[in-house]
Amino acid sequence: MMKNRLMDLLKNVSAYTVICLYSIFAIFPLIWLVIISFKSDTQMYNTTFIFTPTLDNYKIVLFEGADYIQAFINNIIVSGGAVLLSLLVGVPAAYAFARYNFAKKEDLAFTILSFKFAPEILVILPLFMIYQKIGLYDTYFGLIWVYQLITLPLLIWVLRGYFEEISVEVEQAANLDGYPWYSVFWKILVPLIKPGLVASSLLAFIFAWNSFTFPLLLSGFQIETVTVAALRYIGSDTVHYGQMAVAAAVAALPEVVLALIIQKHLVRGLSFGAVKG
Amino acid sequence: MATSANMMKKTTKNQKNIKQEDNKIPFLVKARPYLIILPALLLTIGILYPFATAIYYSLTDFSFRSIDYKFIGLKNWISMFQSKNFWHACLVTVQYTLATTGTEMVAGLGIALLLVRESRFTKTLRIILIFPLMIAPVIATLIWQLMLNNSVGIVEKFLNLFGVFNFPWASSASTALLTAAMIDFWVYTPFVMLLMLAGLQSLPKSPYESAKIDGGSPWFTFRTLTLPLLKPFIFIALVFRLMASMQEYGIIFALTKGGPGSTLMNLSLTGYNMGFAFSSLGKALPYLLVLWAAIFFISKKLIGAWLKGQQNAQGN
Amino acid sequence: MKKSKSIKIFVSVLVILVLSMNMMACSTPAGETDTEGDAAAVEGFSWDMASGSTIKVMFNQHPYAEAIIKKIPEFTEETGIEVEYSLTPEENYFDKLTIALNSRSGDPDLFMTGAYQIWEYAPAGYTADLDQFLNDPNMVDPSYDVDDFYEGIIGGLRWDLKAGHKIGTGPLWALPLGFESNVLAYNKRVFDEMDLEVPTTMQELLAVCEELKEFGGPGTYPLAIRGARNWGTIHPGYMTTYSNYGAVDFTIEDGKLISQVNSPEAVEMTEMWVDLIEVGGAPSWSSYTWYQAGADFGAGKAAMLFDATCNGYFQNPEGASEEAGNLAWVAPPLPEGKTEINSNLWTWSMAMNEASKNKTAAWLFLQYFTSADYQKWSITEGNCVDPPRKSVFESQEVQDVLATNTGYIEAFNATVPGTTIQFTPQPHFFQTTTEWAATLQDIVAGNYDSVQEGMDQLKKTMDEIVADVEAE
Repeated sequence: MMKNRLMDLLKNVSAYTVICLYSIFAIFPLIWLVIISFKSDTQMYNTTFIFTPTLDNYKIVLFEGADYIQAFINNIIVSGGAVLLSLLVGVPAAYAFARYNFAKKEDLAFTILSFKFAPEILVILPLFMIYQKIGLYDTYFGLIWVYQLITLPLLIWVLRGYFEEISVEVEQAANLDGYPWYSVFWKILVPLIKPGLVASSLLAFIFAWNSFTFPLLLSGFQIETVTVAALRYIGSDTVHYGQMAVAAAVAALPEVVLALIIQKHLVRGLSFGAVKG
Repeated sequence: MATSANMMKKTTKNQKNIKQEDNKIPFLVKARPYLIILPALLLTIGILYPFATAIYYSLTDFSFRSIDYKFIGLKNWISMFQSKNFWHACLVTVQYTLATTGTEMVAGLGIALLLVRESRFTKTLRIILIFPLMIAPVIATLIWQLMLNNSVGIVEKFLNLFGVFNFPWASSASTALLTAAMIDFWVYTPFVMLLMLAGLQSLPKSPYESAKIDGGSPWFTFRTLTLPLLKPFIFIALVFRLMASMQEYGIIFALTKGGPGSTLMNLSLTGYNMGFAFSSLGKALPYLLVLWAAIFFISKKLIGAWLKGQQNAQGN
Repeated sequence: MKKSKSIKIFVSVLVILVLSMNMMACSTPAGETDTEGDAAAVEGFSWDMASGSTIKVMFNQHPYAEAIIKKIPEFTEETGIEVEYSLTPEENYFDKLTIALNSRSGDPDLFMTGAYQIWEYAPAGYTADLDQFLNDPNMVDPSYDVDDFYEGIIGGLRWDLKAGHKIGTGPLWALPLGFESNVLAYNKRVFDEMDLEVPTTMQELLAVCEELKEFGGPGTYPLAIRGARNWGTIHPGYMTTYSNYGAVDFTIEDGKLISQVNSPEAVEMTEMWVDLIEVGGAPSWSSYTWYQAGADFGAGKAAMLFDATCNGYFQNPEGASEEAGNLAWVAPPLPEGKTEINSNLWTWSMAMNEASKNKTAAWLFLQYFTSADYQKWSITEGNCVDPPRKSVFESQEVQDVLATNTGYIEAFNATVPGTTIQFTPQPHFFQTTTEWAATLQDIVAGNYDSVQEGMDQLKKTMDEIVADVEAE
């Protein structure tokens, strides 16, 4: 008995040590990012934790020149739009892949996934030419469309796994009770796949939000996104790390807020299953 | 794009069975799955055109140095296979992929398993540990670069306390891959962790209860229950991480531009350099197409294995 | 069975797509412009002759661009021309620009560029010949004096499109916004405290580096120079010193470019450079670009900086860096026995897209922002430096601004006469210089037994790269 308890204790201690070590590794750069966002260029290299904090970086990024705010709004439109569009077409598609058995099913599913294989730079030049021709260059819809390459395969493939986990009897029972298909879908299936839905939407949003090559090369005059804008603080005179940190921290805000909002949905997923490690 | 026939024939108890040869089924019912998928396909199919164009350009001497270009057959392909840079790039791609995907999968799953217990501590960490993913990789790399800098970086100052001075990080051939992989690990482990957590939380409860009654050791439970049940999620995470790390460009470029020497010149960087920095797009495209084909092939194998596993699991 | 069928379908779809793409390409010939027509219609020069048009400008993120952007509202008010612009970080700027120019869509009308890029863009027909405007009295403001530009600077933007031909003759492909020559900057405070002489020869430089090792404790080092794996490592201090050793990059033999990077002068110089890096360079030299080199110098982590004039200059205004005000400049150190100072030239310039549909408006923009009035303002108020115009540099206001930087004017005057592009113009410039930088990294890392061996290998690589170039 004693031995077992000791083992348990040891296990707990080592588990917490691992978690803590990883957490320090994961979180410290973020803390550092926040710290340097309060440092002036002058003190950037010569001080560590003790310095004269300043809000200048925030002032410059947020208020001097409306560029960054505009980029931020653009990013919300483009990334939000991309995820919404992906959800709209992706959830039904994932359902179909999971539920129906039809000719060429795996081929079609794999085809959708394979669009994500193409290195962005492989298709960027032809894409640029087409966008110029059909007037999608430098437009919101142009970016939302091309972002589907980032968001859609992820959503479909993650959600497909969730749909497959749901037994078909649940659905049939609801059908027999006389619910129309859309309320079965909405009231029964969607709550069941919620953990996957929120997790994959969040991931899709994050990847769209941080996308770099596509917005860099397919927009620029009218629409600029935050990642491209944040790199601008590498001015040629010097790297304004403080301003870049502000830009990065501000850019991460919507993602953080989103993650906090969905936290409780992620937890609710626990209600139908718990695991002991 | 064909999959092995046995995969397509499979019918599982969770799927509505629509028999193709049954003519009595109205067209609309038969076509329903296709119609549901159609919008998703239409949205992504646009990429097929640029992709076809890219294949065509790889057979030309397309260069940004000139407006005209002409068909030159397989010349670009042959010269690529003869170039030692190509084989070096393949090697680097493999090294980088193994170093990043391997560690991220293990750590992501491990952390998720540790965080799945319910407590305020784990609840908070579950959110906070996703944060690194929210910093754009290029910017994350620049921040890391600042932290690792030997003259001004905070990590250097920390290491100095332990008597370590001027650790070479990205500037030496022996540690550059490690440094790049470490940053990749920092950015993308949360991705794996998040998927694993979502998976763990949707696992059915009953098998665990019976396992508890049977008194199996935790390791035994993990191996025989958790791992198989988690397989779909592991596969998804693995496929997406493989695809991305085989293509990784941003982190390496921001860190060393492929140096020192050619230590970190993977296929993406070699292709990008050739196509854009050196303006010879025709020469560059074979590198990127090989990369595409490799990812295609590997993912296909993985997903084939996954489907087979699914089938076996459900067939019993 | 099934496999081959679906491959067939896939292939035929590809073929159809490619065919249709080619037809599309044939049916829309590259952008024809009718600028000649509207230019001829204008009688006499006036700033509002293109009023009502809109132009697009692509800027690289740079103080020159920021200064121009501040003045765009004034430009629009005076000319009636609306301006849309994009501002891109330098690492990605040329990728974006190259794609845009290649599309021949006419966007952007104007773009920032350097001289080396012109060796690609001009032969491809992307850039408009600016002489056609300069030589047309109806197009030039009478007060715009083109002869006011330093001959060596504006000459760097003239080229006759023949690979191997030196720059300086042929059409003008861009106008300079500013320029960089390469000099030695040093931290006066450190040199005074340690009672050191400022080096004037390479041997003295190496000796001073020995003295300055960890001059301010761990993390400090003597000499900041670039080392990253791209052309940026070769063209500043390295190429300046390379030419001061009397070495050349290429010679022409039988209509072919032959690399000379393994010549005795080149090897001697590179040995010296490698010594400098080993004795005095940053510990993580091989990842150093413009930014790290300049930032370390400004932060007092490096005692010297052998780089572009303005890199150190941007660190010197009060509040820009820790060591602001302590920085000083001298002409580049020479190998022993040499007296003539050469320096390699980089010039941020602005060029016009040959496919532009608003050439008159674009030309007015170009003229406005290369005028003496604007360039003077850009230095006194706009955080710019190194004017390409003699009258601007010599004006009292500019001299007053520059005089606050110890030795800057003297270094400028000593270096400008010998400042020109030391590279042989050829279309594979970026590839050859990237290989050059990679080889330098390999030599420093000890991957070659000797500098000679590394440079021999580099020569072979460079010869292969330029094998398709027909030179005269």
